[in-house]
Amino acid sequence: MSESEVSGSDIYLQPFVRFERGRRYMVCARSGHGKTSLLNFIYGSSTSFDGAVDLHTEGFDILELRRRHLGCLFQDLRLFPELTAMENVLIKNALTGFKGEAEVERMLDRVLSPEKKRQPVATLSLGQRQRVAAVRALCQPMEFLLMDEPFSHLDRNSAREVATLVDEELTAQGAGLIVTALDPIDLFSFDQTLNL
Amino acid sequence: MLSKLQKKTLIPTQVAGYAATLLVGAAIVMLACQLYADIRPLLTQQTDIFRGHSVTLSKNVGVMQTVNKKGIYFTDKEVEELERQPWVEHVARFASSAFHAKASIAFGGQGIYTDLFFEGVPDRYVDVQSEAWRWDSTESFIPVIIPEDYLNLYNFGFAESQSLPVIAKGTVEQVQFAVTLSGRGKSRTFRSRIVGFSGKINTILAPEDFIGWANREFGEAENSAASRLLVELGDASDERIPRFMEEHRYNVKQDELENSKMVFFFRVAMVFLIAVAMIIIVLSVAFIIMSLNVIVQKNRDLYRNLYAIGYSPRQIARFYRRTVGIITVADLAVAMAVAMVLRSWYVGRLATMFAIEWSAWPIAATTAILAVALVAAYDRIVLHTIRKTVEN
Repeated sequence: MSESEVSGSDIYLQPFVRFERGRRYMVCARSGHGKTSLLNFIYGSSTSFDGAVDLHTEGFDILELRRRHLGCLFQDLRLFPELTAMENVLIKNALTGFKGEAEVERMLDRVLSPEKKRQPVATLSLGQRQRVAAVRALCQPMEFLLMDEPFSHLDRNSAREVATLVDEELTAQGAGLIVTALDPIDLFSFDQTLNL
Repeated sequence: MLSKLQKKTLIPTQVAGYAATLLVGAAIVMLACQLYADIRPLLTQQTDIFRGHSVTLSKNVGVMQTVNKKGIYFTDKEVEELERQPWVEHVARFASSAFHAKASIAFGGQGIYTDLFFEGVPDRYVDVQSEAWRWDSTESFIPVIIPEDYLNLYNFGFAESQSLPVIAKGTVEQVQFAVTLSGRGKSRTFRSRIVGFSGKINTILAPEDFIGWANREFGEAENSAASRLLVELGDASDERIPRFMEEHRYNVKQDELENSKMVFFFRVAMVFLIAVAMIIIVLSVAFIIMSLNVIVQKNRDLYRNLYAIGYSPRQIARFYRRTVGIITVADLAVAMAVAMVLRSWYVGRLATMFAIEWSAWPIAATTAILAVALVAAYDRIVLHTIRKTVEN
C-alpha cells in the first residue's frame, strides 16, 4: 500500500500500537486496505512489512505460537473440504488436546444442526463453513483471538450465536480479541475501535 | 485424521509403478551380488595352490636353445623384474637335481631300471597333503610326487590302447622302489615311494631340502639357475599378466591363465549387470521422487492450511515418509525373497558340480544397504519438499 493510502491509519505508520490481553479491539477498513495483511503480520504468516511485531513470546517458534497462544479465524476459512465439520475441529484440537470430544460436539451443536456435523465440509454452505471455522479457532489455548471478517457470510441470528460462543471462550481463557470488519459491528463490547 | 486427509493424495498407479521397478532393480542387484560371491571362489579355486593363484613359468625353447641351453634359464635380473611386478606376490625357483639318479624295481624276479631326475619347490606350493612328504637325512627314504597327468596318460591312453588293466592312485602309492644316487665318485641307494599326485606341478617332485642335501653330497655341476619358476599372483584376473607374459615370451600353462581370464570376464559381466540394475533402481527412485513432488504441488493448499493451524512440516511429512518407507522395505523384502528363490534354483544346479556355501549374506547385505539408503534419502527429500512448500 502507498503512504497516502494509509496516512490516516491508527496502526500503519504509527510509531507504537499496543494490544493488551483481555481487551477487545475492532479494526475497521474498506476492502483492500490491509485488514487481512495486518492479521497475517501478527499471526506470522507474512513478513512483508517494515517495522516489528512484538508478541512477548520469546523462545516460542511460530508453530508453538499458533498452537498455544494465538487463535485465528481466517477470512478464507482454511477448512478441509473432504473432512466432516466435526473432523475439521478435531484435527485442530488434536494438536493440543485442549477440549474433550464431547465439548467439541456441544460447541458445534450451538452453531450447527446435528446432521451437518457429520457431513463433509464440501457439502456445507459458506455460512455453515464459517461457523465450523469459528468453533475450530476456539479449540486451543490462547492469549489472543484474531478474527478476519468473521460474520461476512452469516445472518444476524447466526452471527449472534457465534459471537456469544466466542465471547464465553475468551472470557473463560482471559484472552484478548482483534476483529477486522468492513463496517462497525455491535456483537461484542469492544474496548477500542481502530481505523486502518 | 491427518492420515485420512493425506491418504487420498496418493496416486495408486504411481505407487504401484515405483514398487514394480524397485522390485525388479533390487532383485537383480541382490542376485548379481550373491552370484558374484558364490561363483568367484569356484573360479579362483581352480587356479589356487593353497594361498593364492600360482602359475608355472618357463621360457620358450627355440631352435637356438637346443644345444646352447643358457637361454632357457631365468637370470637373477629377470627374476627381480618379475618380483617387482605389482601383481606378483612371490617368486620361487624350481630346484633341479645335479646328480645321477636311477630307479629300480624287482618285478617277477627281474629288475627294471630307469634313469630319473628330481625337482623341488617350496612345500607351500605342493598341492598334495601327505604325512610321508618329508625328508630326513637319517632315514633312507625319498618321498616322490608325480604329475597326475602321468597316471592319466597311462590309464586313459596307454592301458586303453594295449588292453592293460588301469591302475588306481592308491595302488601306485603302495609300490616301493629303490633309488640310487651317484656322483662325485660315490653312490647310495634309498627306499622310495610315490606319496601323491600333483594336479598343478608338472615335474617329478622330491622335497626341496632333499634336493639341496643330495646336490651337496652327489652334485657334480654347480647349477643354481632355474629353468622354471613358480609365480604366486596377487590378483590372477589382472589384465597386465597376459601382456607381460607375451612381451617377455614366457610360457605359462595355458589353462591356468584361461581361468584367470574367466574370472576377469565374469567380473566385468557382474559389474555390467549390477550397473544396469542400479540404473533401474535410480530410475525407480527418480520416479517416486517426481511422483511425490507432483503430490506435494497438487496438494499445496492442504499442506499450507495444515501449517497455518499449527501442524509442523515434520508432522505433515510423516505420513509420506512412513508410507514410502513401508512400501520400500516391504518391496525390498519381496525382492530378497525372489532373489533367494532364484539363488536356490541355481545353487541346486551348481551343487552337483561344486560345494557352495549356503550363506546368503550378499543378498541380506544388499537388502539392508538399499533399505537404509533409500529410506534415509526419502525421509530427507519428503521433509525438504514439504518444508519448502509450506514456508514459502
